[in-house]
Amino acid sequence: MFFHIVLERNMQLHPRHFGRNLRDNLVSKLMKDVEGTCSGKHGFVVAITGIENVGKGLIRDGTGFVTFPVKYQCVVFRPFKGEILEAVVTMVNKMGFFAEAGPVQIFVSNHLIPDDMEFQSGDMPNYTTSDGSIKIQKDSEVRLKIIGTRVDATEIFCIGTIKDDFLGVINDPTA
Amino acid sequence: MEKNGKGFSMPKSSLKSTPSKDDSSQKSKEGRKVQFNNGGSPEERFDYSKSNGKSSSSADKGGNGSTANGKASKSKEKEPLELRLDQDRLKNAKCLMDSEAAEILQGIQDQMTLLSQDATIKLPVSFHKGLSYAQANARYTNTHSVRRVLDTLKKHGVVDGEISMIANACPETAEEVFALVPSLKVQQIDAFYIQTLQSKKSILKEPLEVALMVIKPLRKVDSTSV
Repeated sequence: MFFHIVLERNMQLHPRHFGRNLRDNLVSKLMKDVEGTCSGKHGFVVAITGIENVGKGLIRDGTGFVTFPVKYQCVVFRPFKGEILEAVVTMVNKMGFFAEAGPVQIFVSNHLIPDDMEFQSGDMPNYTTSDGSIKIQKDSEVRLKIIGTRVDATEIFCIGTIKDDFLGVINDPTA
Repeated sequence: MEKNGKGFSMPKSSLKSTPSKDDSSQKSKEGRKVQFNNGGSPEERFDYSKSNGKSSSSADKGGNGSTANGKASKSKEKEPLELRLDQDRLKNAKCLMDSEAAEILQGIQDQMTLLSQDATIKLPVSFHKGLSYAQANARYTNTHSVRRVLDTLKKHGVVDGEISMIANACPETAEEVFALVPSLKVQQIDAFYIQTLQSKKSILKEPLEVALMVIKPLRKVDSTSV
């Protein structure tokens, strides 16, 4: 789910950036450092929307670097357990399928796929119901529920299920 | 439909609510979510022990349920509270619907193309993925109206996160909403415990159906949808 949130960060700036454009340099350094990163607490920082406040800079002892505490608003994307998401399938194999929702990767194990769907291998591996009416293959859109999240240094990885009510394929690319 | 049936049987008596949490994984998830709506963690533990006391004084089944719940209570408290806890931590976090996020991110992208004087500032990959995801899921022609309509559900105790989930899911019926957002079925434990048990879902059902009817015409017509 997307959130709009205020975060704070201490930015270190080298003296060569001081001068008229101090604030602009600070903001562009912030954007380079923060946009595209991911943390367990906040999720993916998708974009910075504005700077709320730049505090007074503190000169670090021994070096000329100055630390500025910056408060900024940003849009973050963080998946939660129990959340319903619509994702696009990226890979199908006999263990299950991988799907992507925004910057987050989700894996749905074959244990969490309804029992009437079976894996069909081939050049386009897919999961199909016994009557062939519903198919999950690459680029299908599925609605799934997140049942677990794991945070790495740079990304969040989720486990999902389509075994509940109102979950499953939304859009078949071949239809 | 089974799950709806089970959901209906839960509110019948407060004594049955504790053991029914262990019956199946799905129910236990709903059971965990019973603590979802409680105030803070000390309150939950207190209410939990109260309900344990009630069930242990009843039949054996109730007793078994309470011991099992006693062991599992700590893990149950931590997991489903994720949404709540994080909302406490990120106090000024505002839940965005996908449509709202799409508008904001599109605005930022437009700004970037205007102000791209500094060639080293490039939008990261996750921005593009986030933008295309939000745009794909942004299904309403007028997000402000949808937001206003769904905010009317707040007075019935629906929180921000649940409202965003309802909007993102684009449900057809109220039953679909209750299935996708099980925390809406959860009973708030307060002084009027038994009364509110029976009425939360029924209180919420009508305004939810009205809200869904109002936002349905605001959906973008998708020619490729099945």
